[in-house]
Amino acid sequence: MNGPKVIFTIPIFGGIKVSESIVNMWIIMAALAAASIWLTHGLERRNPSKKQLALEKLIDMLYGMVTDVMGERYIGFAPYIGTLFLLSIVGSLSALTGMRPITADLSVILAWTVVTFLLIQANNIKNHGIFGWLKSFAEPVPFITPLNIISEIANPVSMTFRHFGNIAAGLVITSLVYGGLASLSAAVFSRIPNDFFASIPIFQVGLPAVLSVYFDLFTSFLQAYIICMLTMVFVQGAGE
Amino acid sequence: MERAIVLAASAIGAGLAMIAGVGPGIGQGFAAGKAAEAVGRQPEARGAVTSTMLFGCAVAESTGIYGLVVALILLFANPLVGLL
Amino acid sequence: MEEYLPFVSIDIWTMIFTWANLIILFLLLKKFLFKPVNKMLAERAAEIEDSYKAAGIAESKAENMKAEYEGKLLSAKAEADGIIKTALETADRRSDSIVTEASDKARRIMEKSRKQAERDKKNAVNEARADIAKMAADIAEKLIGKRFGEDDDEKLISDMIDRI
Repeated sequence: MNGPKVIFTIPIFGGIKVSESIVNMWIIMAALAAASIWLTHGLERRNPSKKQLALEKLIDMLYGMVTDVMGERYIGFAPYIGTLFLLSIVGSLSALTGMRPITADLSVILAWTVVTFLLIQANNIKNHGIFGWLKSFAEPVPFITPLNIISEIANPVSMTFRHFGNIAAGLVITSLVYGGLASLSAAVFSRIPNDFFASIPIFQVGLPAVLSVYFDLFTSFLQAYIICMLTMVFVQGAGE
Repeated sequence: MERAIVLAASAIGAGLAMIAGVGPGIGQGFAAGKAAEAVGRQPEARGAVTSTMLFGCAVAESTGIYGLVVALILLFANPLVGLL
Repeated sequence: MEEYLPFVSIDIWTMIFTWANLIILFLLLKKFLFKPVNKMLAERAAEIEDSYKAAGIAESKAENMKAEYEGKLLSAKAEADGIIKTALETADRRSDSIVTEASDKARRIMEKSRKQAERDKKNAVNEARADIAKMAADIAEKLIGKRFGEDDDEKLISDMIDRI
C-alpha cells in the first residue's frame, strides 16, 4: 500500500514534492469553481429553474444548519463550513472516479483541522480576551493546566485521525478487494489458453461497486458531515 | 533476522491493535438500539434521532479509528524498522 | 521511477499547499457561489417586500376610494332626501297659503256683502221713513187743511216717527 504518488517536484527549498493529493485537490477545486459558476449562471428572481431551486435548497440547508448549531451570531462562518464540506465530500467521493481520495492523506486533513484549531482559539480570544483565554486553561484548578492543553490539542488530532482513518480504511479495503478480484479473475481465466481474457480482470467490474456504496458514499458523506459539525460545535463552544 | 522479527511483531501488533474495534462496535450497537427505541417511542422525531445517532456514533468511533491508525502505521509506515 | 510519499505521514509542503488551496477555494466559492445566491435571495426578499408594500398602498387606496364612494352615495341620498323634504315643505306651505287666501277672500266677500246688505237696509229704512213722513204730512195737511211751514213739518214728523 502506497501513499500519494509524487507527481512533480518543484526544485526550490531542496525540492518541494507535489503529491497526487494536491493535484487532485486542484482538479476538484477547478470542478467546484466551474460547477458553482454554472449553477449561479442566470439566476432568476422569479420563476427559478429546477437547477436553481436545488441550489437554493442546498444553500438554505447550509445556512439553516449553521444557524441551528452555532446560532445567528456565527452566520458568517457558513461559507467556510460550506467550503470545508464540499472539499471533504467531493475529495472523498473522487475515489469513485478512480482518483486517489485527497482525504486519505493525513497531511491534508491535518491542515484542515489545524485551521479549525486556530478558529477555536481565535474565537476564544475574541470572546474572552487574551487573559480570559489563558485563564481558561487553568480552570477549574491551575494544577490541571497541562491536561487542558493536551485535551485542546487532542481535538484536531482526534478529528484528523477520525476522518483519515475512515477514508483510508475504505481505500485499503477497496484496494484489497480490487487486488483479490484481479488475482481471482487471473486464476480463473488463466485456464483459457488465450492471454487476452486473462489480462482483463472481469471480476473487478460491478462487484466493488457494492462495497463502494458503503465505504465511499456513506462514509464520505458522514465524515464530511462530522468534520463540519465538530468544527461548528467546537468554535461555537469556545465563544461561550 | 532482526528485521524479520520486527516485521512479524509489527504484523501481530497491527492485528492486536484492531481489537480496539470491539469497543466502538458494542457502543455503536448500543447507540443504534437506543435510537431504534427512541424512534419507536416517537416516530415523528425520526430525522433528529437519526442525525444525533450518526453524530454520536462517529464520535464514539474515535477509539476504534485510533486502533486502525496504529495498525495502518505498523503495516505501511513502520517506524520500528527504521530503528534497526 | 515513480516516487510515493509514505502512507501515514505528515508532509509540511502538502499541508501548506492544502492551506493555500483551502483559502483559494473559500474565496472562489464565496465569489462564485455564495455571493450571487445571497445577492439574488436578498433581491428577491426586497422585491417581495416592495410588492407587499405596493399591494398595501393599492389596498389602502382602494379602501379610500371605497370610503369616498360610499360617502358620496350617502351625501347624494341625503341631498335627494333634502330635495324631497323641501319640495314637500314648499308644497305644504303653498297649499296652506292658498287655503288661507281663499278663506280670506271668502270672508272678505261675505263681509262686503253683509255691509252692502246693511247699507241697503238702512237706505230702505231711511227711504221708508221719508215716505212715511211725507205721507203723514200729506194726510195731516188734508185733515187740517193747513199747511205747516216746511221746516216745522219736517221736525214734527220726525219727532213723531221717533216716538212711534
